[in-house]
Amino acid sequence: MLDLILNPFVTVLTWLYSVLNHDVVLAIIVLTVIIRFLTYPLLARQQESSQKMQQLQPKLKKLQEKYKNDREKLSEVQMKLYKEHGVNPVGGCLPLVVQFPILIGLYQSISFALAATPFQLVDLSERLLVPGLDPLIPLQRIWLGMDLTLPPTANPQYALILPLLVLITTWAQSKMTMGANQQPKSDSDEEDTSAGGQAQAMTQSMTTIMPLMFGFFSLSFSVGLSIYFVTSNVMGIIQYSPQGRVVLNKIFGGKKDDNDIIVDSSDDEVDDEPVKQPRKTQKKKKPRKK
Amino acid sequence: MGVSWPSVDVIELNGEQQIVVSYTDRVDIVSPQNGAHAPLINPATGEIRRDAENNARNWVLLGSDYENAQFYTNPIYVDEETFLIADYNGRILEIDTVTATVKGSFTLTNHVLANILVADDVLYVPLQSGGVTAITMDDYEVIWSYPTEEGVWAEPILVDNMIVFTSLDHHMYAIDKSGELQWKVDLEGAVSSKPLVANDRLYVGSYNKKLFEVSLDGDIINTYNTQNWVWGTPALADDGIIYVADLSGYIHALDTTDNLSMVWSEQVATRGIRSGPLVYEDTVIVASRDGLVYWIDRHNGVVLTQKEVEGKPELLSDLLLIEPSESLNIDKPLIIVGTVDTSKLLVAFEVDGLRQPWVYKR
Repeated sequence: MLDLILNPFVTVLTWLYSVLNHDVVLAIIVLTVIIRFLTYPLLARQQESSQKMQQLQPKLKKLQEKYKNDREKLSEVQMKLYKEHGVNPVGGCLPLVVQFPILIGLYQSISFALAATPFQLVDLSERLLVPGLDPLIPLQRIWLGMDLTLPPTANPQYALILPLLVLITTWAQSKMTMGANQQPKSDSDEEDTSAGGQAQAMTQSMTTIMPLMFGFFSLSFSVGLSIYFVTSNVMGIIQYSPQGRVVLNKIFGGKKDDNDIIVDSSDDEVDDEPVKQPRKTQKKKKPRKK
Repeated sequence: MGVSWPSVDVIELNGEQQIVVSYTDRVDIVSPQNGAHAPLINPATGEIRRDAENNARNWVLLGSDYENAQFYTNPIYVDEETFLIADYNGRILEIDTVTATVKGSFTLTNHVLANILVADDVLYVPLQSGGVTAITMDDYEVIWSYPTEEGVWAEPILVDNMIVFTSLDHHMYAIDKSGELQWKVDLEGAVSSKPLVANDRLYVGSYNKKLFEVSLDGDIINTYNTQNWVWGTPALADDGIIYVADLSGYIHALDTTDNLSMVWSEQVATRGIRSGPLVYEDTVIVASRDGLVYWIDRHNGVVLTQKEVEGKPELLSDLLLIEPSESLNIDKPLIIVGTVDTSKLLVAFEVDGLRQPWVYKR
């Protein structure tokens, strides 16, 4: 099944290699940029959906508190709220689901195209969809004195800069992602012990763990894959940056800015419903630390 | 799964013909009679050696005992007590066949994926990253090294006192025994196929989806377009028809007496055929990545029978023909198929494809 994605990628990568003066690194960079560019609308939709959900969080929290002993009603009013604001609660997942195999396919296509063993080469023979690319195999895998099919540890010492670049760019991208998906804190968020708050705390710790993980993995991944990671991360940074989003939204004819989605809490009729279940406990607000 | 597929060959051990299979971290010796693991015999007593717990020992060389050695090539018979084998990690290991242990080693400059050629007590070692190195067999002294731009992934052959080998750099080279280039020919694509030499011609396929007929002076005489890359060595029948398999599952029968004109060309397998075909009487036998072995009428390309290896593991190893033997009690010739599944590492079929006498599980 993944072959449906993988084989076109392997073919395009090999074709790019042929037109880019047999520079496989340039081919990897260009293919990664193209794919990240083409999948931007999916990313934008995911971001938009995620932001809408963030903006609805205060309302949702109120509802959860209000109907904490009536799950059926809670579900009903939540759906009503989503409908009123045009939010699909699983809307953020679909673009992710579509993007994931594409990015996995891109990642794997680099390994397949850079076939370094007999097994990989035999496999490659069934993946080139366009005639005329076969004489290009095997792709030139030495770049700046590094063997692209080997990990940095099996290359000259300067190759170790790549895991470091992977770490830095993954961290920067994670930071940008958080910034893009987060709303400024409102008063109601001050004492955030809800599921949303926990998720946010988890995301924050992931921002630290993920770059370290990817940086560590890059020590054993091939140099070619590290180049993919760095390029993909840089593209992510651009896509998540406000300036980048403005440009990309213009190109793809999207809305002017994601932050325009405002949830006006005052006109939410859900709030006007009588409270059927009185609160059993009410936490005292802690003073805000400065 | 390793970087390559099992390498299967016949070797003499304890005065008997045995099958040797090298794959990933082990070299095993197997009886062709019944597929049983060959026991480790003490030649002084003729008895089977036993371990500390009194269990019978089998002939196995474990790479884990020797700095994680990996094996994808056939051993070289030196004498009754010694084999040489290339370790993928870039060594030649000297094996004591009596104890199945390594008694010496020589470090090479690179990995070895293809079989070593032995001629006049010189080892011609093809290197994965490129080039061939000539090394004396007795004291492992490097005589010369001939570099290539890309790897040499096929066994060199000796033709007219020349070492002929192919490279992923698109060329076939002929080097004399002093290491001087005699000629090289561009085959338009990478080559990982061991050439076939017959009737003063070399036959070799390339990744440019072509089979080449080359003179012993390095001139291309004829070419034939295949459907996909050719990796296996072609097989020539007595009547001058050459059979070549490609990685789209096609078999092509070509007339070498008529400028490689096509006799027939048929897609017999659903996936690629990596290994070379084996011609036996009126049948061509091939094994495919689809996990099936095919018996084909060599005159018209009709599939006579096909046998599935249980679980359909990829069949990538070269086929091995075991001739009948009275001492081993083998009545009919056997075809030995190597698979990438160690639970059925070797599968034996009778040459007519009617029976599958044994399976060797590692």
